[in-house]
Amino acid sequence: MAAGGPSVFLLMVNGQVESAQFPEFDNLYCKYCFVYGQDWAPTAGLEEGISQITSKSRDACHALVWNFPIDITFKSTNPFGWPQIVLSVYGPDVFGNDVVRGYGAVHVPFSPGRHKRTIPMFVPESTSKLQKFTSWFMGRRPEYTDPKVVAQGEGREEENTEAEIPKAAGVCLCPSPAQLTLTFCPQ
Amino acid sequence: MNPREEKVKIITEEFIENDEDANVGKRKKNSKVQRQPRKKQPPTTGPDKMVSEESHLGNQQEPAQDKPQTRLLSVTARRGPRSLPPIPSASRIGFAEFSMRERMREKLQAARSKAESALLQEIPTPRPRRLRSPSVKELETEFGTESGKEVGSTQQEDDSQSYSRVKFHVSARKIKSKPQVPPGFPSAEEAYNFFTFTFDPEPEEAEEKPKHQDGTNQEEEEGEEEPPAQEGANRMDEEELPHGKDAENFLLGLDHTANEFLAVRPADYESVHVRLQREKEMLFIPSRLTVPTYKKLPENVQPRFLEDEGLYIGERPEVARTNQNIMENRLLTQEPGRRWFGDDGRILALPNPIKPFPSRPPVLTQEQSIKTELETLYKKAVKYVHRSQHMIGSGDPSGNFQLDIDISGLIFTHHPCFSREHVLAAKLAQLYDQYLARHQRNKAKFLTDKLQALRNAVQTGLNPEKPHQSLDMIQKTINEYKSEIRQTRKLRDAEQERDRTLLKTIIKVWKEMKSLREFQRFTNTPLKLVLRKEKVDQKADEEAYEAEIQAEISELLEEHTEEYEQKMEEYRTSYQQWKAWKKAQRAKKKKKKQATEEHPEEETEEPYPEEDPVKPTPPEPTDQAAIEQQVRERAAQSRRRPGEPTLLPELSLAGSVTPNDQCPRAEVWRREDVKRRSVYLKVLFNNKEVSRTVSRQLGTDFRVHFGQIFNLQIFNWPESLTLQVYETVGHSSPTLLAEVFLPIPETTVVTGRAPIEEVEFSSNQHVTLDHEGVGSGVPFSFEADGSNQLILMTSGKVSHSVAWAVGENGIPLIPPLSQQNIGFRSALKRADAISSIGTSGVTDMKKLAKWAAESKLDPNDPNNGPLMQLISVATSGESYVPDFFRLEQLQQEFNFVSDEELNRSKRFRLLHLRSQQVPEFRNYKQIPIYDREIMEKVFQDYEKRLRDRNVIETKDHIDTHRAVVAKYLQQVRESVINRFLIAKHHFLLADLVVEEEVPNISILGLNLFKLAEQKRPLRPRRKGRKKVTAQNLSDGDIKLLVNIIRAYDLPVRKPTASKFQQPSRSSRTFREKHAASPDTRSPTHSADYPLGQVLVRPFVEVSFQRTICHTTTAEGPNPSWNEELELPFRAPNGDYSTASLQSVKDVVFINIFDEVLYDVLEDDRERGNGIHTRIERHWLGCVKIPFSTIYFQARIDGTFKIDIPPVLLGYSKEQNMIIERDFDSVRSLSEGSYITLFITIEPQLVPGESVREKQFLDLLAGDEEEHAVLLCNYFLFLGKKAWLVIGNAIPEGPTAYVLTWEKSHYFIWNPCSGHFYGQFDTFCPLKNVGCLIGPDNIWFNIQQYDSPLRINFDVTKPKLWKSFFSRSLPYPGLSSIQPEELIYQNTDKVAAAELQDRIEKILKEKIMDWRPRHLTRWNRYCTSTLRHFLPLLESSQGEDVEDEHRAELLKQLGDYRFSGFPLHMPYSELKPLIDAVYSTGVHNIDVPNVEFALAVYIHPYPKNVLSVWIYVASLIRNR
Repeated sequence: MAAGGPSVFLLMVNGQVESAQFPEFDNLYCKYCFVYGQDWAPTAGLEEGISQITSKSRDACHALVWNFPIDITFKSTNPFGWPQIVLSVYGPDVFGNDVVRGYGAVHVPFSPGRHKRTIPMFVPESTSKLQKFTSWFMGRRPEYTDPKVVAQGEGREEENTEAEIPKAAGVCLCPSPAQLTLTFCPQ
Repeated sequence: MNPREEKVKIITEEFIENDEDANVGKRKKNSKVQRQPRKKQPPTTGPDKMVSEESHLGNQQEPAQDKPQTRLLSVTARRGPRSLPPIPSASRIGFAEFSMRERMREKLQAARSKAESALLQEIPTPRPRRLRSPSVKELETEFGTESGKEVGSTQQEDDSQSYSRVKFHVSARKIKSKPQVPPGFPSAEEAYNFFTFTFDPEPEEAEEKPKHQDGTNQEEEEGEEEPPAQEGANRMDEEELPHGKDAENFLLGLDHTANEFLAVRPADYESVHVRLQREKEMLFIPSRLTVPTYKKLPENVQPRFLEDEGLYIGERPEVARTNQNIMENRLLTQEPGRRWFGDDGRILALPNPIKPFPSRPPVLTQEQSIKTELETLYKKAVKYVHRSQHMIGSGDPSGNFQLDIDISGLIFTHHPCFSREHVLAAKLAQLYDQYLARHQRNKAKFLTDKLQALRNAVQTGLNPEKPHQSLDMIQKTINEYKSEIRQTRKLRDAEQERDRTLLKTIIKVWKEMKSLREFQRFTNTPLKLVLRKEKVDQKADEEAYEAEIQAEISELLEEHTEEYEQKMEEYRTSYQQWKAWKKAQRAKKKKKKQATEEHPEEETEEPYPEEDPVKPTPPEPTDQAAIEQQVRERAAQSRRRPGEPTLLPELSLAGSVTPNDQCPRAEVWRREDVKRRSVYLKVLFNNKEVSRTVSRQLGTDFRVHFGQIFNLQIFNWPESLTLQVYETVGHSSPTLLAEVFLPIPETTVVTGRAPIEEVEFSSNQHVTLDHEGVGSGVPFSFEADGSNQLILMTSGKVSHSVAWAVGENGIPLIPPLSQQNIGFRSALKRADAISSIGTSGVTDMKKLAKWAAESKLDPNDPNNGPLMQLISVATSGESYVPDFFRLEQLQQEFNFVSDEELNRSKRFRLLHLRSQQVPEFRNYKQIPIYDREIMEKVFQDYEKRLRDRNVIETKDHIDTHRAVVAKYLQQVRESVINRFLIAKHHFLLADLVVEEEVPNISILGLNLFKLAEQKRPLRPRRKGRKKVTAQNLSDGDIKLLVNIIRAYDLPVRKPTASKFQQPSRSSRTFREKHAASPDTRSPTHSADYPLGQVLVRPFVEVSFQRTICHTTTAEGPNPSWNEELELPFRAPNGDYSTASLQSVKDVVFINIFDEVLYDVLEDDRERGNGIHTRIERHWLGCVKIPFSTIYFQARIDGTFKIDIPPVLLGYSKEQNMIIERDFDSVRSLSEGSYITLFITIEPQLVPGESVREKQFLDLLAGDEEEHAVLLCNYFLFLGKKAWLVIGNAIPEGPTAYVLTWEKSHYFIWNPCSGHFYGQFDTFCPLKNVGCLIGPDNIWFNIQQYDSPLRINFDVTKPKLWKSFFSRSLPYPGLSSIQPEELIYQNTDKVAAAELQDRIEKILKEKIMDWRPRHLTRWNRYCTSTLRHFLPLLESSQGEDVEDEHRAELLKQLGDYRFSGFPLHMPYSELKPLIDAVYSTGVHNIDVPNVEFALAVYIHPYPKNVLSVWIYVASLIRNR
């Protein structure tokens, strides 16, 4: 806490995106970014990252292991808007186009210590069967304008009233979820 | 000094004392050691010496080491010192000392009694045969006399302990020495006398002596406080040492008295009895017997029990009864007052005397210094383990508990696949079960026996054999018996009837079943009912039956007669009453008659006080025959007829089921359907599935056997245990039939002891089947005509048992019950009971109440208050309606601070305002944690705005009218922004999800074609960029790309040499209206310039948001840069939302400068050595493009006219035909300078929804359309042909221009700037034309092209222009919404002048601000010259004044190198003026001794339109 400056508290997060279970896909990579409130600001570390491409392990569990490190420090004055990590997983489809395989978000754990989080992943569904086919065919699956929307509540309240949106809410495509382990030290 | 310190100090003092004590002890030991050798000294040591020595030592040491040899002598010799006068300090003895002394005395007393007993023991022993020596005798007498004196006297120096020890030793020695009787020693008698005489008086004085001695000792050695340790040490010395010594003494004694005597005696023994006797005299032992209550209470007072009166009395601590009695006895004896006893005769006691925390001060041992106590300890932070009340022993390592669920099977009592026979079978089985249960209980038999017993009792009661019982009592009991007999009989009759009907029903159902089997000609169920007849002895049976009936009749008769008598009695009394009344009535009447005769007037007033009592009717006597009839009827109905055999039904499964091939098809289908069905159960613990049974096929008997035991290792407190019955038909998915809720077993129920229980379930599913199955929830009938419809629902029973498992070591794995209760009670305590109804702890009120009743909660205990209240509320049932309603019953709990306090918090306010999206706080980041860190000024602006919402502030806006406009605009802006904020949260699918459009076949084909396309084509085509929504951007993400391509026709420098010449007419002025005449462009003038001299070295500087980039310097008036400049873009407050971006007011300034090099070398001689030049830049002109335009247009590509000041001193627009000939044809019609630009934003932003807020606001009074309409109307007013053009222009985008027709030319007017362009002007900013609007029609462009260069404006051609009003829709002659006449008021000239002065002042200040490191000098002379000049510019519109102006300036400022220019702008706000001045870069000159001149002129036009001229110049004195 800098003398004279406003008091802040720091939140140091380090951990890693360990592995994922995507039974149907292989050769995936993942991106992460953080979504946080107005009173938060990153002070150190990387806010975004993109991992290497990993192949399925050969053992029975077929995990996609990244072990991709996360290390970031936030400062904040308000627990409101606690950071969330947003993960999006991409991989090639049959035609070799990079398509999104899953989105997911989770809050950074609130208590210090080692935490393991398993996040169910989902992707938005096409609005119609035809679109589903064409999007598959053309390798342009529906994707979020910004992965960060999965961590934002805005617009969700409209989901019930607007005919189109409920589909955008996303269907869990992957029965087995991606996993993220966060180790997490408080300040 | 605080108390703690004090304590510490005291303790240390004690320590020191203790140390001293220890030293003393050591010394004692030393002295002991010192004295050791002395013991071996011959006994010749004189007694005197010994005494003196003893007395000397006695001062500080215990003279425990008295030598036995000298004992006798020393004892006598010590008398002397003992008779010393008492110390006067006795009075100083304090209380503490006193108590101490008391203790000492007790000890001494004990010692003394011992000694005494030893002495007493001696009395019966034979007299010691001892010789009496004269010396001893002498001593004896001496002693005798002395002893008398000694009474009451105190000894100062001697030690009491030694004294008692003396006695002891003496007695010991006596024992030793007695048998030995050497000659010359006192005789036995003498010895006896001696001892008796010597010691008799001693006990008396001993009582007093030690007291004082103790006191003195204590005083001398320790002062006031003597710790018990010291005492202990003393005692140690006292007890231990003498014993050691005894042995020694004994030996020594033998040694020295070898020639003396030795007597052998039996060991001294004091009988227990005697000792007890003696102890009894001295000690008080309270009795253990219970003290009668009357002793404990004041006389004639009954004990009062508050608890019985309903008052709450806390639970007393557990004290053994004997202890209590002892205490009571002691209290009674000690303190006769009864203040120790309460009203109930018990000792007063607190409900709970145990403190929750220890109050003992910390005990400090010697090793521990105080510092270590005060030291801060580091304890590692322990992670807080959340312990919920529903978690069991989370901190408990043995936290695994196990619940065993045994699911043995499932029986369907109804199933859709039941055939009719099954239905009956199920019914039969059910009835049979009922029968069996009843049979087992055999209530009828029990009741019959009871009846019999009662009758016997009555019989015996009537013949009393015990005469001592009072008759009343007997009568009473008999009456009771009788009533009971009546009751029992009724019950028995009911039971018997029920038994009989049950039996009948069973038989009926069985018959039905049989008939059904016959009817359908097959058997489905193996059920078989056998009725076993049990023969009975008819005669006996009949007798019993008759006897029973008779007994009943007689009883009934008795009852009836009793009743009759009672009624009769009633009748009689009432009859008497009636008679009396009648009589009275009659008498009254008579009286009345008389009275009426006397007082006729009173008659009417006499009312009848009572109604006439009805004459009672006598009751009817009972009819015996009727009663008998009744009884017999009933017996026949409910009882087995006499002689009738008893029927015992027996249900067996012995029947055979008809095989499939003999059954009709429907039945076969049914059976197959049954076979296809299978059932399994899911076990849900706390609503979570934990396990499931295997799926078992449904048997033909609709029974499923599972026989599975599930061991649930549980961690959470069990809240619910549910079984779900699932049925699977074939391969379809399982359907949930029903849910069975199992109770959580009591903690006493453990595995092995739990009985198998059956829980019924039923399902509400409706099933209709197409075979024999009756279905479920569907009506069916057994009758042929379909009457008597039945609706059966699927139902069944699950047999199971639930129990707690038993661990390996026999401990049941049950979560502790206390946890559950504690958590829940403490939760209750916090809130009031009603509000906690909603909390999860209390779910089942009934259960809670039951629990409370079972656990015998004291309703008066304040601790249980809330619980009791809750229970009373809950159990008072549904009828309880509280007279209040709590909407948010738990709200109170969450109100951690009052509303006022919350509002006072600055932080909260800030957060609140931010969440309300108040503009000042909308993008406030990092709201400080603490209130104190929030500056009050944060709110100042906001509060001021709130205050001034309607107050017009003129400070910022110089001119009042503008201020009003600005205010209004501000409000409009706010409301628009607010609307945007609402819209911002309204997302469409497209805002969130990017999804490809469904391609039509052509696109699909194109895409297919694309597959075959080259990956890297030789001639790449431009692809559209991906648009980015603005919502997730941050600083630095957006860049503004400005591509400066080239400029045309820039002004060129005039040779400085010609400054005194008249300006040549050949040079072109900027403002020549029409195409330059060929003669002005004659090449002759190029001779003015020396060849090779660069005319101008222009470079472009782009400034945006105070970031400045510039290109390299090019040469010539038509430079080509082709450079891309990249400028970062920062949104206001980092808010990249669409709304925010739209409101960006920043403007991109593209300034063109001329770089001028001046040789500043002062000494010509050095010219050879170095070049010393100064670079100056002269502003040539600028292009301003608002950011919002770029934002909306996404890219701006085109050639723009450079805004060049009307007067640019030192520059002229000279044509160099040699260079520029190529361009002539292109620009033939235009004049001025142009620059070609390409501006875009990277990445491309998605513009907002067509709200042109920015432009609208920027223009302040209206946008292009309004200007265009106004201009068009002017033209029309002047009688010109004019139209409004709607189209796209650069840089405005969609806009409105004005088209006029003049002399076979079309002119396109920019209504905002007033510039006009010919139709074929390539630099015309209007790029395409959508429609034309004339005074009476609207035409839409339907031509192939829309560029004004290529279209035909002839609206009469319908092929080219589609008119809105046509023959089909004629012009209806709309009236104008515009006012007929516009009134132009004159603007206040004084105000304008004032404004002019203020602007000038502000600008000057600004320039000085921009030059913080340099001195800014103002040349007043120049300024005034410029000020005079500006009105000329306004009047001449900047035309043709340059030469005169220059001449004038030269005349006046001949010594100065002058660079400056007038800026001409419309006035709206101050900021654009400042920006414009800043963008010229005049202030950037850092030449020393530079001077500045700045003049402002405002020309007021009517309607408050102000034309502002700013003349900025820098002057450098020429040398």
